[in-house]
Amino acid sequence: MPRKKTNGNAVIRQDIKENLQAGDTILEMKNIIKKFEGITAVDGVNFSMKKGEIVAIIGPSGSGKSTFLRSINGLENITDGEIDLYGTTGMVFQHFNLFPHMTCLGNITYAPIKVNGVKKADIEKRAEELLELVGLADKRDVYPGQISGGQKQRIAIARALAMDPDIMLFDEPTSALDPEITGTVLSVMQKLAEQHMSMIIVTHEMQFAKNVADRVIFMNQGKIIEEGSPEQIFENPKSERLHEFLNAVTSR
Amino acid sequence: MFSDFIADFITEFTDLMEYVGILMPTLLSGAWVMVQLFCWTLILSLPLGLPIALGSNVRFWPVRAFCRFYVFVFRGTPLLLQLYFFYFLLPIQFDIRLPALATSIITFVLNYAAYFAEIYRGGINGIERGQYEAAKALGLSKTQTMIGIVLPQTMKIILPPVSNEAIVLVKDTALASAIGLGELMKASKGAVNRDVDPTAYFVVAVIYLIFTFILTLISNKLEKRFKRYDEGAVS
Repeated sequence: MPRKKTNGNAVIRQDIKENLQAGDTILEMKNIIKKFEGITAVDGVNFSMKKGEIVAIIGPSGSGKSTFLRSINGLENITDGEIDLYGTTGMVFQHFNLFPHMTCLGNITYAPIKVNGVKKADIEKRAEELLELVGLADKRDVYPGQISGGQKQRIAIARALAMDPDIMLFDEPTSALDPEITGTVLSVMQKLAEQHMSMIIVTHEMQFAKNVADRVIFMNQGKIIEEGSPEQIFENPKSERLHEFLNAVTSR
Repeated sequence: MFSDFIADFITEFTDLMEYVGILMPTLLSGAWVMVQLFCWTLILSLPLGLPIALGSNVRFWPVRAFCRFYVFVFRGTPLLLQLYFFYFLLPIQFDIRLPALATSIITFVLNYAAYFAEIYRGGINGIERGQYEAAKALGLSKTQTMIGIVLPQTMKIILPPVSNEAIVLVKDTALASAIGLGELMKASKGAVNRDVDPTAYFVVAVIYLIFTFILTLISNKLEKRFKRYDEGAVS
């Protein structure tokens, strides 16, 4: 059932198409503008993506990349523009945002039971498969307070996957983690990439973006400055600003 | 010498116990009235605080203004004044004649609901934004988010201040003696005035302490229960 939401000039349509093939457009965004009290965080971004595509968004902090990502699932109400979404979304946050009063299993099964009305026994079986996928089958009955940050993030990925989203949105999923454990989260994301999950990843992990993304977008001051294949962006940056950014990031 | 002292002490003590025994039926019936007032107030004001707390946060301003004004009035005036107010208002203005216990329960419920509403509101506001965002990203409705995600987490935050209020309530029940409710305070005062002997006050103090002690035990137990998902076991 198509859903339409309007907010001033902004239009957001969600029309979930069941038989979307790889390569069909799954998301189309036109002239997205988001203003916060006079500051324009996202300034006229056009974006579209195909099913199965993996897009990495890079850029300095404050470039509007998170705000742009969060406008896709309505966590930010855009000021102007059009969004056409042909599927459902799942999101993974920088700070995990697990529900601390539920076990890992409870975190994963709660929304499918409440939102989709899935039977508890069915979703628990699926949750166990997802726990297996993220390598945390043994944490099934443990509370989030008792596991590490990297483990929390992997549970958060499993929680989002349990709703069977068509697109996974990652908002700096490794930024709050110790450098030595980011690998465990990235390898789970790599697995999803291999399964051709459509993903948009806002990240500071340049190496990961290079290895996994089909397309890389560079944002600065609310605008897309450059986009292209990882080779084009990382090996052959055209704009001065991207040059500077890559130099600053790689010289760390 | 010493044995005389012991003998004196024993006679005095048995006299005292005999007197306490005579006081007991009056004091225990006062305690029973106090327990009724206490229990009814808690049972009714704990849930009543929730809609007031939620209403204080809604966007629709008339509801928000009403809830905030309610809290402002009931928290901002003395409970004793509120007791007098309802005691005289109900029969004179509305011709509703209620027993002192019912009037006390109504007043206490309205007063404590205001305090509980503020405690709940603080607890709800203490839940991180990220919890709401995660719930929204998963497609949970606002009601599902409130009932399934926010309120259960609020429990842990509000438990200490709520049990503190419950202990204050035990002592506040004494105020109802001012409108003639025969609770513990009034019962003891009657005995002291009649016999010119302050013993009843001591006995009553012990009865109040027993109640607050039981409440402390219960709240400690509940706090332990809500601690089970705390951070820090492994990090």
